[in-house]
Parts: sequence; structure tokens; C-alpha cells
Amino acid sequence: MKRLFALMLAATMTLSLVACGDSAKTGGDTATGSSEPAETTVDANVLNVSIASEPASLDPALNSAVDGATMLVHLFSGLAKFEQKADGSLELVPDAATELPEGVVNEDGTVTYTYTLRDGMKWSDGEPVTANDFVFAWNRAASDDLAADYGYMFEVVDGYDEVAGGEADSMNIEATDDKTIVVTLKNSITYWNELLAFPAYFPVREDVVANESWATDPSTYVCNGAYTMSDWSHNSVITLKKNDNYFDADSITMPEINFYLSDDANNMLTNFENGSWQMIDDVPTNEIAALKEAYPDEFVVAGQLGTYYVCWNINEDILPEGSGLSGKEAEDARAEIRNAISLLFDRNYIVDEIGQAGQVPAASFVAMGLTDADGKEFRENANGGKGGYYAVDTASLQSNFDAAIEVLKKYYDYDEASGQFTNFPSMTYLYNTSEGHKAIGEYLQSALAAVGINMQLENQEWNTFLETRKAGDYSIARNGWLADYNDPICFLDMWTTASGNNDVQFGKGAHQNVAAYSLDLTDLGYDTKVTDGTWAETYDVLISDIKTCTDTKTRYALMHKAEDLLMQTGAICPLYFYTDIYMIDSSVKGFFSNPLGYKYFMYCTIE
Amino acid sequence: MNPKTLKYILKRLVLGVFTVWVVITLTFFIMHAVPGGPFLSEKAVSPAAQAAMEAKYGLDKPLMTQYVTYLTDVVQFRFGPSLKQRGRMVIDIITDGLHVSAKLGIIAAFLALVIGVVLGSVAALRRNTVLDRIIMIITTAFVSMPSFIMGSLLLVAFTIRVHWFPANGASAGGLVLPIITLMLYPMSYITRLTRSSMLDVLGQDYIRTAKAKGVTGWKIIFGHALKNALIPVITYFGPMLAYIVTGSLVVEQIFAVPGIGRAFVQSIINRDYMLIMGTTIVLATLIVIMNLVSDILYKIVDPRINLE
Repeated sequence: MKRLFALMLAATMTLSLVACGDSAKTGGDTATGSSEPAETTVDANVLNVSIASEPASLDPALNSAVDGATMLVHLFSGLAKFEQKADGSLELVPDAATELPEGVVNEDGTVTYTYTLRDGMKWSDGEPVTANDFVFAWNRAASDDLAADYGYMFEVVDGYDEVAGGEADSMNIEATDDKTIVVTLKNSITYWNELLAFPAYFPVREDVVANESWATDPSTYVCNGAYTMSDWSHNSVITLKKNDNYFDADSITMPEINFYLSDDANNMLTNFENGSWQMIDDVPTNEIAALKEAYPDEFVVAGQLGTYYVCWNINEDILPEGSGLSGKEAEDARAEIRNAISLLFDRNYIVDEIGQAGQVPAASFVAMGLTDADGKEFRENANGGKGGYYAVDTASLQSNFDAAIEVLKKYYDYDEASGQFTNFPSMTYLYNTSEGHKAIGEYLQSALAAVGINMQLENQEWNTFLETRKAGDYSIARNGWLADYNDPICFLDMWTTASGNNDVQFGKGAHQNVAAYSLDLTDLGYDTKVTDGTWAETYDVLISDIKTCTDTKTRYALMHKAEDLLMQTGAICPLYFYTDIYMIDSSVKGFFSNPLGYKYFMYCTIE
Repeated sequence: MNPKTLKYILKRLVLGVFTVWVVITLTFFIMHAVPGGPFLSEKAVSPAAQAAMEAKYGLDKPLMTQYVTYLTDVVQFRFGPSLKQRGRMVIDIITDGLHVSAKLGIIAAFLALVIGVVLGSVAALRRNTVLDRIIMIITTAFVSMPSFIMGSLLLVAFTIRVHWFPANGASAGGLVLPIITLMLYPMSYITRLTRSSMLDVLGQDYIRTAKAKGVTGWKIIFGHALKNALIPVITYFGPMLAYIVTGSLVVEQIFAVPGIGRAFVQSIINRDYMLIMGTTIVLATLIVIMNLVSDILYKIVDPRINLE
């Protein structure tokens, strides 16, 4: 018996020693840092940042997250990249390509681009980068075999449909020699150069990606960008070291970047506040107000191409019982009601009191920051140049409210004394579990309750929520959308009947046969003129016209028409435009981010 | 080891395998019954891509076929690839996480045991003195304080106020605070357990006999009383070790420790079916084994206990 205790004790002591040994060994730094703040030990050659948790994939073709894209722009060199000009604005410059030439329009309307690669470019293992690596990578990313989330980013390339459908192996792209890439697009698009800077368009080498696990381990991770991956301690940290094989290595000023993988905003903030990390891409929502005060120079609110909105299920009947309306009349009435309800919400309250992160009240669906043909913001020209579909300033609050009540009175019984509607059907607002979404849901609920409209709140866990919303198994739901590139089509083609993102269920179910929409494109030189058509006959046609349109000005005019049609249904109720908030230490210079939210650390220095 | 004990262990092992099988079966079918899926994302994947992914991982087959395939694989210790972290194998993810969680858990558990037993014995021996009261007050406080509060307090004190330890479990010295957070509850519980059972034992006849024969103080405790007083501690220690080693989500979250607890919860949120199954099996097996070990220890400490 005594022996047993002796053994247990010995084991315990050994373990405690191991424990101490471990913390003593690793705690070397802790010991030195113990008496003085961590700031004094910051190494100017290493930047410690935390932008998100473990990326799902660092294969450029498979990544579909913004944080993954941030790491990828450091690891890979595509044909183009973003750079910051002296005045702080961003520009697209050639990266692996010597220049970004104009495309040549062919007889059939397709456009051919020819790129020449720089001399002497090498992969991180020393092999030369060839034109074929790009061709291979693009076909791979678009293929149905890989089934990448962002395979559709190649939709603009001629031959994409065949490759994505599994009928062909190669799109209309070709490496005519080791240095030359020839690619043909279905038609001219304005954002092509931007796509070239998108991770899905980065090159990968065939023999490297043959190993399916290549992108999970630094030893097999071969890249061609400014950095190489020197360590990936899963769920904890990814270390990038400057790549001496990169052709422009001289301009890269930050020798080493540690991407700490954390999904806890509180933990990120703690590490920022104690000086361990110099940049964090998330902060706890309830701390925002205090942080803005405490860190006026470090707390940054940047623009982001996204809209937070509420979507209705188009097939949800919100008319009162016995309204006697059907077909087009009923749909027009529902659209009018939905648009009226949208006017009952105080978007300034939502952004100032709930969001608190500098979000901008939204008066249209296509997000702030997306540009129009004339160089202005697309939203400024929305609704025939009115800059929005309704007024969102605080001064218009009362007039919006009055207008909404007038419209609703046409359809529902209104008790003047109490200011309440008495026969509005009860609805349920669906959102994914999160404090922020809940707070917004509660606000919407109270705004409707004030006029006697009863809206229940229901929350679902993220994955369940996505399925419910996609299936149209809801009446009203929280929604949000971020652009993949600076073109309004990102916000518009998602609402076609067949789109997988058509959460509103346009053209589906009962709505399939609702002929309530009109479209006249004759002023833009098209034959299309539909009166009282279905969604498929109007919106779907309009989107396909946009996708094949080669004239920039006409194309943007078509996109405005699409947004008009969309907003006319009232099924989309935009609340605000997203912003990207992050904190960066004032000692870090040379940092920038792009509107898609990618962060660039390669040109940073620590003073 | 006598044949009876051996038979008992074998029986328990068979029962353990059965338990794990039940856990696998329940988890498998419940998991598939939950709405959502591994390939669902905010931006919809094309139906063709979705179908390709499902075919690649065999999710297009009937559920029963998938179940049989999975069981066949698991018997050969093949846990398959992660559905969400493409290119990574489930076994690697589990090994990575368990490595960290086990290191954290074992150190915390043994520190809790040693400190707990010593404090408990001291409190019992000095019953109703100031020392006893202090120990009891402190342990009551620790037992009643949830780990997220304890963790947050330690974090504020030692990483923000004074920069003694990093807030990130992955950096050097980062495991110290999580270990302390994880240790305090079981340590306090063991202290209280030891104290009460020690008081029980100290009142028994054989101790009085020993005292009458002239054995004193610490010798009574360590030579005679502790052995019997530890029986309830051992019963508690086995399952506690299993619980603590398999990862505490809360502590891992607060200190950003890359342990298995986080991997487990994340796998459920992501509907990463393969990873959910893998982690469930590993955790269930660990708990079954720990329970068995604690029962056997129980028998060794108290030979009167009949394992039948």
C-alpha cells in the first residue's frame, strides 16, 4: 500500500516538475517580461497580428474567407495586386505580369487578354514559375472535381460553363509559351483586373497540389509570393517569413509575420492591450464605445462592401384575411406593405445605439463603396439618381412613419385612438444566434409593436439557420451580403430564380406564376419590353442581359434597373452598410486594407 | 492479480466497447438528423459542386450504408478526412488538440490531487482552528466560482495589470494561467472531500488504538488514516481526470488554448461529420477507460470491495 502512495507521489512530483520545467523552459520569455511591460520587448522585425481563427483552407482555390485571403495575398503572387499610393488610395498594379494590357474584342464579342510573366520568377522551392502554372490553377479552381466555393469567380471566362459542368477540362485559356498566358472572356467586364488580384486566380503547381494535404503543412506548402509559410501550429499560429525568391523582395519591409489564430474577440483585445499583438481584426461589440474613447488613433473604422438587411419570404401572405385580392393585385399590395414597413425602422438608431461601429444607414441594397460607370458611388445614382429608395436621415423619420401608416391603413384596420393596427397577421423574425442580431431583432420587434404589429423572434444556430433560410421556411429573416469584387452584379445576380442565394424565393413556389413585374429596356437599345411578366420573364432576363452586355454605361444602367425592380418588391429591407473595424498599434506604419477586407502587412515597419 | 479481478476487468472492457458502440450509433444518427450540413455556407455553392463534394465523401449514399462504412473504418482506426478543413485528417486534428488538452489536464489534475489532499489533511488535523477555517473559506469560494469568472479574473490580473503571462495559450508560458484555472475547482473539491472523510476515519476505533499505542500527529495521518480517507477521493479522481483531460471548452476559449474542447465544439457548429464522430469516439473511450481505472484503484485501496 505504502508503495502505491510512494509511486503516486513520485508520479505527481515528476509531473509537477515536468510542468515547472515546461513553464520554465517556455517561460524564459515570461521571466524576462515579468517585471516590465511586454511593449518593451517588441521586436521590430516581427509583426504579431490576429485576424481570425484557423482558416478552413490556405489553398488559393479552396479558400472562401476574408482572413484566408489576407494570408494568401502575402503568400502568392497573382497577375495583379493592390498597392497603396502616396495619397493613401489603392491601385491595381501588375504583380507576376509585366503589365496589365487592354483586352482585344473579338468578332463574336468575346475579349482576349494576353499577359507576359516577369523574368526569373521562382516558386518557394526554387522551381521556375511558368505560364502553365496559371493555366493549370485556373482550370483546377473552376472544375467541378474540386467543387470550390469560389469556382464561380471564373464564370466570366469563356468555356467556364463546360468546365464547371464537367464536360470539358480546360476553359478558353492557354499558355502559348513559358511566359505567355492568353485568356478569353465571354464579354468585356470592368472588374477583370480586380479578379486577377483575387486569391482564386493565384497560380499553383500541378505536382505540388497532387498531394491533397499540401496546403495544411509548411513542409509541402509551395508558394510564389512575398512570403513563405515557415510554421503552422494548427489552431494557434501561422508564421510567414519573407521569401527571398520573390522577384520584388527588396520592397518587402516586414521580415516576419505571425498570424495568431483566435476566434475570441475578448482574447484578441487582451493580447492587444497588453502589447503582445499589434493588430487585431475584431473587438468585443460591447467594448466598442469604450475603445473608441481609449484608443482614438488605434481604433479604425474602414469601409466594407456589404449590406446588412432583412429579407421577406416573398410567398408569405401578409394580407389580412378576407382582403379579396389575388394575383397581381395581391402581389402589388404585399410589395406596398413591405415597403411601408421598411419605413417604420429608424436606421440611425440601429447604427448609433446597437451597431456602434460607424455603420452607415442604408437606403439601397447595393452596398456603399461599389463604383458606378461615372466613377461616383453606385448608391449615389440609385433610384434614378435620388441616392436611395427612401430617406434615412433623422429629419425624415416622422414623414416616413406617417407615409407608412397611410399605406398600411389602406389594407388593415387601424384604431386611431391607440395608433395600433388590429388585424395585421402575426409574423416571426428569424435570426442566427448572436447578441448583435438579437439586439437588432428586438429593436425591429419594438418598432412594429408600437403600431400594433406583432412579430415574434426566433433564433437558430448558424448552420440550421442557413438551411431554414435557403429553404424559404420563414416569414422574415436577418440577412447580410458581402461583395467578392467591386461590381454591383455581386448584389444583383443572387436574386435570379435559380440562384442558390435566392433566400427570398423569387420566382419559386406560388411566386413562380405571379405576373406582376414590368420591364422596359427599349431606351437602352434592347427589344425587351414586358408588361406584367413573371420574375423569370423580367428579372432573370435582365440579369442575363447584364452578364452579356459589353458596353459599360449600358451595363450599369441595366444594373440600376435591376436594383429598382428588386427594391420595388419590398422583399429586401436594407438596414445598414457594413464597416470593418480593427485595431492597429500606432507604432506600425505602412499598413493598408482593401475594400474587400484584405489586410496588407508586407510593407509595414514598426517604429 | 487474481482470476476474479481479471474476469472483472475483461467484463468491463467488453461492456466499454459496447458503450462506445452505442455512443457512436447515437451520435451518428442524431448528427445526421440535425438540420444543416458540412457544405452549407452563406454564399451558396452550385448544386453541381455540392453534389461533387457529397459524392467525394460518400454523403450521397443511404444513411445506413454510410453508417456501416463508417463502423468498418473505425474498427480499423481510420477516422477519415475532415469535411471542413480540407486536406486535413481527423486523426491529426484530434492528436494536435488532445496533445495540448492532455498536457494541460494531467498537470492540473495532479496538482489538484496533491494540493487538495495535503490541504484537506491539514484542515482535518487542525479541525476548528483558524487554519481550518481559512482553508474551508477559500475552497468554498473556488468551488462556487465558475471557471469563466476565475479565468477572466486571472487574465485581468496577470496579463493586463502585470504582464507576467501572455493571454494566448499558444505562446510561451501561456499554459500557466489555464492550468491554474482548471486546477482550482478539483483542488478545492478534493480538499473538502479529504477533510470530511479524514475526519470520519480519525474518529474510528483503529485510529484510537494507534493513538493509544503512542503514534502521533502526521504519522497517524500518513501511516494509517490517509489510505482509508482517500477512497472517496479516488472515486472522484478518475472521472475528474477524464473530464479535465478531454478539454474544457471554457478555459480553452478564454485563454485561446488550441485544445480538443474547441475542436469538438467547432466541429459541431461546422457539421464536420467526420470530426464530430472522431472526437466523440476518442472522448467516450477516454471516459470509459478512466472510469475503469478508477474502479480498479478503488479495489486496490480497499480490498474489502468486491468487484463483482
